[in-house]
Amino acid sequence: MCKRAATLERACRAARHGWREHGRRAAAAAAMALTVTVAVAVANAAETAADVPVDAQQVLAASDAIRNPSRPFALTTTLIEYHKGRETDTSTLQIYAKADGASGQYRNLIRFAAPSRDVNKLMLKNGNDLWFYDPSSQASVRISPRQRLLGQAANGDVVTVNLARDYRAQLVGEEDIDDGDGIPRRCRKLALAAVSPDVTYNHIEIWIDAVNSHPVKAKFYAESGQLLKTAYYRRYQRELDADRPTETVIIDGLDRQWVTIMRYTHYAWRDVPESWLQRDYLPRFKPEE
Amino acid sequence: MTTIALAVRNLLRNRRRSLATVLAMVIGSVSILLFGGYVQNIICGLQTDYVRGGGHLALQHRDYFLYGSGDPTAYGIAGYAHVIDVIRHDPVLAPLLTVATPTLDFGGIAGNFAAGASRTIFASGVVVDDQNAMQRWNDYGFPGAPEVLSLTGTGADAAVIGTGVARVLRLCGPLHVANCPEPTAVPTGSDWQGGSELHGQQLPEDIGRLATRDAPSDDGAVDDTRIELLAATTTGAPNVARLRVTKAVDLGVKEADDNFVGLHLPTAQRLLYGSAIPQVTSISLQLHHTDQIPQARQRLDELLATTLHNVPLAVYDFRALNPYYGQTVGMFTAIFGFIAVLIGAIVLFTVGNTMNAAIVERTVEIGTLRAMGLRRAGIRRLFVWEALLLGAVGALAGMLVALLVAALINHSGLTWTPPGRIDPIHLHVRVWGEWIMLSGTALGLLTVAMLSAWWPARRAARLPVVEALRHV
Amino acid sequence: MDPLILTNVTKTYRLDKVEVPALREVNLRIHPHCFTVLSGSSGSGKTTLLNLVGCIDRPDSGEICVAGEPIGQLSDDALTDFRLRHIGFIFQNFNLLPVLTAYENIEYPLLLTRTRAAARKNRVSELLDAVGLTHHAQHWPGQLSGGQRQRVAIARALATAPALVLADEPTANLDSQTGAAIIALMRTMQRDFQATFVFSSHDPRVLAEADDAVLLQDGRVTSREQRRPQPVTP
Repeated sequence: MCKRAATLERACRAARHGWREHGRRAAAAAAMALTVTVAVAVANAAETAADVPVDAQQVLAASDAIRNPSRPFALTTTLIEYHKGRETDTSTLQIYAKADGASGQYRNLIRFAAPSRDVNKLMLKNGNDLWFYDPSSQASVRISPRQRLLGQAANGDVVTVNLARDYRAQLVGEEDIDDGDGIPRRCRKLALAAVSPDVTYNHIEIWIDAVNSHPVKAKFYAESGQLLKTAYYRRYQRELDADRPTETVIIDGLDRQWVTIMRYTHYAWRDVPESWLQRDYLPRFKPEE
Repeated sequence: MTTIALAVRNLLRNRRRSLATVLAMVIGSVSILLFGGYVQNIICGLQTDYVRGGGHLALQHRDYFLYGSGDPTAYGIAGYAHVIDVIRHDPVLAPLLTVATPTLDFGGIAGNFAAGASRTIFASGVVVDDQNAMQRWNDYGFPGAPEVLSLTGTGADAAVIGTGVARVLRLCGPLHVANCPEPTAVPTGSDWQGGSELHGQQLPEDIGRLATRDAPSDDGAVDDTRIELLAATTTGAPNVARLRVTKAVDLGVKEADDNFVGLHLPTAQRLLYGSAIPQVTSISLQLHHTDQIPQARQRLDELLATTLHNVPLAVYDFRALNPYYGQTVGMFTAIFGFIAVLIGAIVLFTVGNTMNAAIVERTVEIGTLRAMGLRRAGIRRLFVWEALLLGAVGALAGMLVALLVAALINHSGLTWTPPGRIDPIHLHVRVWGEWIMLSGTALGLLTVAMLSAWWPARRAARLPVVEALRHV
Repeated sequence: MDPLILTNVTKTYRLDKVEVPALREVNLRIHPHCFTVLSGSSGSGKTTLLNLVGCIDRPDSGEICVAGEPIGQLSDDALTDFRLRHIGFIFQNFNLLPVLTAYENIEYPLLLTRTRAAARKNRVSELLDAVGLTHHAQHWPGQLSGGQRQRVAIARALATAPALVLADEPTANLDSQTGAAIIALMRTMQRDFQATFVFSSHDPRVLAEADDAVLLQDGRVTSREQRRPQPVTP
């Protein structure tokens, strides 16, 4: 008893300082890491391939290309959170995304545009590293994986993934499922196992439209097999040379009453300077719009 | 007629005064010994608690003690099974050791997501049988049956949580936690800070249907005591363990109650390391006796330099890991010292007063002795011996009375609840067996008695003979 | 050899700021083996003289020679040892140690001189016998009469066979009959043990018994009367 109590002294101090500050609230509304990945493999337009043997990895890559524009870009995300059926929070974020040339890993610079209390706060996501910068205190803080277990920071990882690069795909079968708008779609169900050690989700189930390679639905799992997130990709529109899902609905796996809707608007090709994606540059960043 | 015999006779001259002085010394001596015994019992009890909970020594990753609280899993011990094996079979350490057991301590989030409640916690994965073995340590002979961990005999997915955690996770009912009033404001997730005009709008129906579409199919049965434990693995990915809480425990310290989750070591390892090689954050070693620590440490240092040189470990004493222990011991030692000095001063004055009165009464006698041919030193010796005899009688009587009173207290059935505990324990005063304290007190009393007589005796010896003889 | 020689001895007391000369340039020789009595009114200096002779006080100037030993240069310890061996005291108030029996009181000086047990026993028995208190040996002083106590004191004074026995008003606290007996005893002891007795006394019987009478007045020796011839030193 005493040992636990004693070592807990340290933990408690860490708990009080660490968790609350960068937990749900702060990192929340934030970490809209709209990491958009550029598929390393060439984005094959999905050929209807009833006759051609299906290469699961290619299918996956194709769905990646639909979610992620091939060149550096910017967009605006409106994020709405619901708990127990009632809206609890909303934010608007400006995202600048660029893939790293060598590794293919996506890096995002996120600027908060709304609500007013969070305006001009910045987040920088670089693979597994997440940095948060507050202009009023001029402090930049690294948010560790432990501190991203809950809150919007966790959601960020759902949209972030460069699936083909980080996962090995296996075709499970073909299924008819209802998509995010309730319309039945014929999908290929892929089981993805993580190959990269740094990914957030141990394995993923993804349903990709058999015809046009649109990702329809994805379920994200932890190592223990616990479902962490379910995502639906909706409202496909023509943006930046492809049909892309302009709305993602994320339903938390642990707390099913927690639903987040992300709407993407103002897509634009954008030259994102390397300097923007450095942590040291955060205090000097100035939005240009 | 030796000086001692003369001193004895002189002391018996005024029995009442001699007795009063002895009584003062006895009371002083008894006070010191009983307080010391009480303190000693507390310290032994505290030590016993720490040794039962975490052993005498802990082996940890070299940097874990200072930096591990920020990221425990980064500072784990990789080949811990081998280390424990080496230690258990070491010819020097094996006879000293009672238990060698690994522990995995880490931070995470415990959630009862069905009720929408979660809390950051500090978890401890343990080997239950080893921990129960450690609980049986009782080198100081405390009464009572050894504690048995609440995780004993439970399944791999069992967990024990603090009562504060149980309250936050709304598990008061199934776990029978008392003092669980309904909170006044029920938050529905993130804080209501205001400012959002879309406050409270309802979730669009189509999306609502999406959410309910994939209702959990895993278990249909509603299990009242299920919680999820969320933690980051070594690679930073989230992982979840589904645990069944068997008990909510009271740890005696509110911060502990509000934070604690206990589970089986393999379960904790699966949560943090997944399919990778499991590690632990600490190896606890419990010895038969606390005074074997230096010997064990020396041998461990040798092993770390030789057989285990490729494992970056550091060895910590339970005192280093629990500064509270040293602080408590220090505080009580200081208080004890203060009281001892205080009582010593009182004895000093009492005996000095007695001596002074005796000298004044015997001034003519002193003069006579000097005239007869007794040297100054002889006069001093006479009075110092009288004081010493008083001191000896006082010390001995004090010791005996203290032992008697201690025995009475120990069998009286009185109880008290020390801080950091929930149940009261028997009031116990350790006087018998505390030879250092007993002899130290006796010696101290003798010294004080002798010192207190020295100045008056010196004065007596220096009296001019003529004046002494003339004294009325 | 004269047991006591005083040469130009002066002693002055200071009471607050007043100086009181107790002895003024006293020159005296005491003859061995006899009763010498110092007499004079109070304030004449006889007690002071006795104290100086008894080596329990020091003169301001002059020399004192006791038993051939000049005592002026001796340290306190040496002086104390000297007293132990060469001087015996008999006090007006007997001054026996109340915690010791009669036997033990007489024995005490012999313990200080570290005499062997057998020799001690012999000496004490001899003295007890001489003062006639053999049957009271185990009595406490509190159980003895004034006269008996003084006898014990006399025996004690002679325990170490000192050359000089000093008695300050030894009969002052005794009734006349007892006093006479004590004087007779002292005379006997003086003869039997070959000691020199020096008294200070008012008592006319003491004076009557004296071999040598010294009169002191205002710190000086004003007259000296030697009544009996010096006994031959054996």
